[in-house]
Amino acid sequence: MEVFKMAWRNVWRNRRRSLTTISAMSFALLMMLLLSGLFEGMLLTMERDIVELEVGDIQIFAGDYRVNPSIYTRIQEPDGILGPLDDAGFPASDRLLAFGLAASDESSAGASFRGVDVERDARVSRVYREIEAGHWLDPADPAGVVIGKGLARSLSVEVGGEILVLSQAADGTMAYELYRVRGVLKSVGAAVDRTAVFMNQPTFRALMAVPDGVHQIIVRRPEGVELPAAEIQVSALASPLEVKSWRNLLPTLASYLDSARGMVGFIFFIFYLAIGILLLNSMLMAVFERIREFGVLKAIGVGPLSVMGLILAETAIQTGIALFCGIALSLPGLYYLSTAGVNIAAMASVSMMGASFSPVWKALFTPSIFSAPISVLLVVVVVAVLYPATKAAWIQPIAAMEHR
Amino acid sequence: MNPSVEVENVSKIYPQGETEVRALNGLSLAIQPGEFTAICGPSGSGKTTLLNLMGALDKPTSGEVRVDGQRLAELGRRELSHLRRDRIGFVFQAYNLIPVLTAYENAEMVLRLQGAEEGDRRDRVMAVLADVGLSGLEDRRPDQLSGGQQQRVAIARAIASNPAVVLADEPTANVDSDTADRLLEIMEKLNRERGDTFVFSTHDPRVLERARRVVRIVDGQIEDDQTRA
Repeated sequence: MEVFKMAWRNVWRNRRRSLTTISAMSFALLMMLLLSGLFEGMLLTMERDIVELEVGDIQIFAGDYRVNPSIYTRIQEPDGILGPLDDAGFPASDRLLAFGLAASDESSAGASFRGVDVERDARVSRVYREIEAGHWLDPADPAGVVIGKGLARSLSVEVGGEILVLSQAADGTMAYELYRVRGVLKSVGAAVDRTAVFMNQPTFRALMAVPDGVHQIIVRRPEGVELPAAEIQVSALASPLEVKSWRNLLPTLASYLDSARGMVGFIFFIFYLAIGILLLNSMLMAVFERIREFGVLKAIGVGPLSVMGLILAETAIQTGIALFCGIALSLPGLYYLSTAGVNIAAMASVSMMGASFSPVWKALFTPSIFSAPISVLLVVVVVAVLYPATKAAWIQPIAAMEHR
Repeated sequence: MNPSVEVENVSKIYPQGETEVRALNGLSLAIQPGEFTAICGPSGSGKTTLLNLMGALDKPTSGEVRVDGQRLAELGRRELSHLRRDRIGFVFQAYNLIPVLTAYENAEMVLRLQGAEEGDRRDRVMAVLADVGLSGLEDRRPDQLSGGQQQRVAIARAIASNPAVVLADEPTANVDSDTADRLLEIMEKLNRERGDTFVFSTHDPRVLERARRVVRIVDGQIEDDQTRA
C-alpha cells in the first residue's frame, strides 16, 4: 500500500476540515513561538540586567562580610584570586565597600561608597554605560565621583556640583572629603539609585584608610558555562572564601523568574491542550466517517500497522504543513520583536524587588526558541492521534463494514 | 485437489440481549475450484454469515472452515489477514472501493500488499481491467465511475491476485438490471475462461439463473443443493 500517496489524498479529501486543523496548529505554533521568544527574551533580559548592572553572576566575600559587612573584613590577597580567575576565563573585578553620609549644601543622605577598578569593572558590569548625565569614573580624575540618580535628587546636586562624604575610616579616624560629581547614573536598582557613590579605588583607599585588601570580588561566567558549574569552579579557585551566585544573593528575584517560567509553561499547556483536543476531534471524525473504508482495507488483507501508519501519515502531513506555516509566519514577527521590541515603560514599572530592568521587552530570536514549542506540538499531535489511529488499526472488518 | 473452501458442521450463534440467535446450524458445504455457486435463501437465513465465515472475516461458534485446505481455526490474526489477502477475493454489495485511489490503483492494491513486482503488477492489473471491460478508464476515481463500473473495478480487485475463491455478497443488489446482466456476464466469462471460483450470496433471480450450482439455506441449514449440468 502506498501509504504516503493515500495519506496525501485523504488529507485533501475533506479540504475544509484539513485546512481548519492545519490553520489551528499553525496559529498555535505561531503564538507559542512569539510568546516563547518574548517571554524568554524578557526573562533573559531581566536576568542579564540583574547580573550585568550590579550583582554579577557570582560574588566572593571574605569571612562573614555578606552577613555582617565591616570595613575590616577584607579579602587580603585579591590578586591571588583574580589571577587564577583570569586564567580560567572568568571576568572578575574587585570592589571596596563602605557606608557613611553624603551631604550637599542643601541636604544630606545615607550613602554607600564603592571603590572600583575602572578597567576591571568594565569587564563585569555595564554600569559605566548607564550614565544619565556627565561621565563615568576616570582614573585621571581622582576627585570625580559618580552617584545614583536618587541620591542626586535627595542632595539636589547635578554634574559639576560638590558633595561631602563622611564616614569612619578603617584607622578609626573621621573620613571626610569633598568630591565633584562627574556623573549621575540612570536607574540601575533601588539601592544604587538611592545611595551609591562610585569612586576610583585609590580615592576610596585614601578616604577610608584601607591600604590593602578588597571587600568583594564580582565574577562573570564565560559564555556557555552554566551558573551552577561556574559557582563550583569559582568556589574551588577562591576557597576558603565565601562564594555565592546571584541566585543565592537574590533568592526572591530568582524564584520570581522561575515562577514566570512556570507561568509560561502553563500558558503553553493550555494552548496545546486546546490544540490536542481539536486534533483529536478532527482525527476521530476522519476515522469514524471512513470506518467502512478501514473495514474494507482490513478485509482485503491490509494489516493493522499499515492502517495505523496511514492515519499517522495523514497527521504527519498536516503537522508538517502546520510547522512550515507556523515557523514561516513567526520569522518576521520574531525578527521585529527581537529588534524593535515592545516598550512596556508606559504599562508597567521597570523595577522590581529593588532591581531595575530595561523597559524595552525584546524577544529572543535564536534556534533554541523553536525547539520547545515544536517538540511539545509534536508530542501533543502524537498523543492526540494515537487513539483514533489505534481505533482504526484494530477495528474488526465486519463491524466496520456494517457501521452506519 | 482440495476444495477451494470447505465448511464442516459449522454453527454460528450471536448473543442478542439475554437470548441467542442461531445464524448457522451445523452447516456443511464444499466449494470446488472453478465453481460458479449461488447461495440463496430468505433474509436472515444465514447467507452473509456463511460468506463471512468462508472469507475468514468471522469465526464459527463450532465446526471448521478450511480455505484451500488450510484450517482457519489454526491461524492467528496476522495469518488470517494474509490468507484473506492471498487466497480470497471480495466483492461487496456497496462496491467499497477506496475513494482516493483510481480504478487502476484499487485493482492493484492487493498485488501491492503481496509485494508483487511493478511490471508484473501492471501486466496483471491491465489484463483484469480489460477482462472486466474497463480499459481506458484506469485513471478514473470511483466518483467518476458509474455504479456498474465501480462494481467491475471491485471484481478486478478481487480477481487480480488469482485467489482460491471470490466471495461476492449481493453483487448485483445496487445496480440496474442491464448493469446486473453485464456484471454477471463478466463474472461468468472470468469463471469460464480463467477458471476463477465464484460464490455469491444473492436474492437476485438473474444470478440464480446463471449459477451452475445453487445452494438454498433456510434457518441456518442447507435446504437444497442443486448442481446444473
